Amino acid sequence: MLGVRALFGIGLLVTSRGGSVLTHTGACARVASNIYSKDLAHRQACTMANTIKYLGQEEAQHIDEELFNEYSFSVDQLMELAGLSCATAVSKGYPLQSLLKSPPRVLVICGPGNNGGDGLVCARHLKLFGYEPSVLYPKRPNKQLFQNLTTQCEKMDISFLTEMPEADVVDEVYNLVVDAIFGFSFKGAVREPFGDILSQLKKTTVPIASVDIPSGWDVEKGCPDGIQPDMLISLTAPKKAANHFKGRYHFLGGRFVPPALEKKYQLNLPQYPGTDCVYQLN
Amino acid sequence: MNLPGNLSRPYGPYPEYEPTIFYPKRSPQSLHQDFTVQCEKMDIPFLSYLPTEVQLLNDAYNLVIDAILGPETDLKEVKEPYAGMLVTLKQVKIPIVSVDVPSGWDVDEPAKDGINPEVLISLTAPKKCATGFSGKHFLAGRFLPYDIQKKYELNLPEFPGTECVIEL
Repeated sequence: MLGVRALFGIGLLVTSRGGSVLTHTGACARVASNIYSKDLAHRQACTMANTIKYLGQEEAQHIDEELFNEYSFSVDQLMELAGLSCATAVSKGYPLQSLLKSPPRVLVICGPGNNGGDGLVCARHLKLFGYEPSVLYPKRPNKQLFQNLTTQCEKMDISFLTEMPEADVVDEVYNLVVDAIFGFSFKGAVREPFGDILSQLKKTTVPIASVDIPSGWDVEKGCPDGIQPDMLISLTAPKKAANHFKGRYHFLGGRFVPPALEKKYQLNLPQYPGTDCVYQLN
Repeated sequence: MNLPGNLSRPYGPYPEYEPTIFYPKRSPQSLHQDFTVQCEKMDIPFLSYLPTEVQLLNDAYNLVIDAILGPETDLKEVKEPYAGMLVTLKQVKIPIVSVDVPSGWDVDEPAKDGINPEVLISLTAPKKCATGFSGKHFLAGRFLPYDIQKKYELNLPEFPGTECVIEL
């Protein structure tokens, strides 16, 4: 599976020592090693763009806390923007007219925490964009925010599955899977039913779009025998695990970072185009 | 509760807007207080008063965003400082962009001597007073569930792609 996905990789250059990702817009990063000849032109043309910072787990948690405590953002606000970014990135990577299966069904798998919340928001916006999302949400936190997000999806006629379909059924029914199971807070062992779900996802052939971190991966080190998503939507800033991402599409989303916060953590975020809420990193 | 915003000239290597906010009466709701802190933390300045000298506004800003009064306003109860602000806005030469309803207009009827915005951004669905609006008219607020659209027979246009606004 990994081999096939690597063959599909177009123009993605990630050094294993991490940190350097060449963007497709020409605003390039300083390449630490591995100069590929076709990219010399990029580097010569490039201005003084700095490398986007890839965050460790603790740093990501600090930034999150600061956004809520110092900057007074609410979880609702940022989750809505994050979920909207995910839906937008999916639309760009897998436009409606490019889908092979009709109706345009998408499976959105939501985990037990905030990553799952992002997934619920994403499902709702995918529906507004014309997709037909179905949600699998096996473990629901007992908090108003998540109950509200679930109601919002139900009221948009988004169906909720009662169990994870087998891999071959996923491949038959859905055009892609949105992985919103685990995010940057993930640590330790994978609890059921998510172990089973991830096993199925390792067998599916339809593209997987992961929200923030490919689920099951170590947030910093990645996971060589974990799921191998085709798309990664990094939220706020990429995490170190993204250095190991080998899929076709790496998007940055969550266009809400105040300049002062960006400066404090030296995030070196790229310039989002116009009013777009996503930026394609590869 | 709405609040007026202004935009000044962009500068720097990447064109960015430089908003300045005038927010004379602050809502006690914690949601709005949080919004205010978020703006302050983005280094968005808050004016302490709105100049009545219209030329100052014309010179300092490229346009005015009118987010003062919305469709729920009781026009008989419009107190200061809003009445005065509306007088100023009727005289500015720079474009006014109104959020949802031009402030001071009756939500059901176009105002005859109200402010004259160049752009109107209707939220969720246009209001009656927007019928025949002569300026640029956008629809925004792409969040309405389909069953509400159907229930109220809104016949909303299809937003293009992933756009969150559509020009009407």
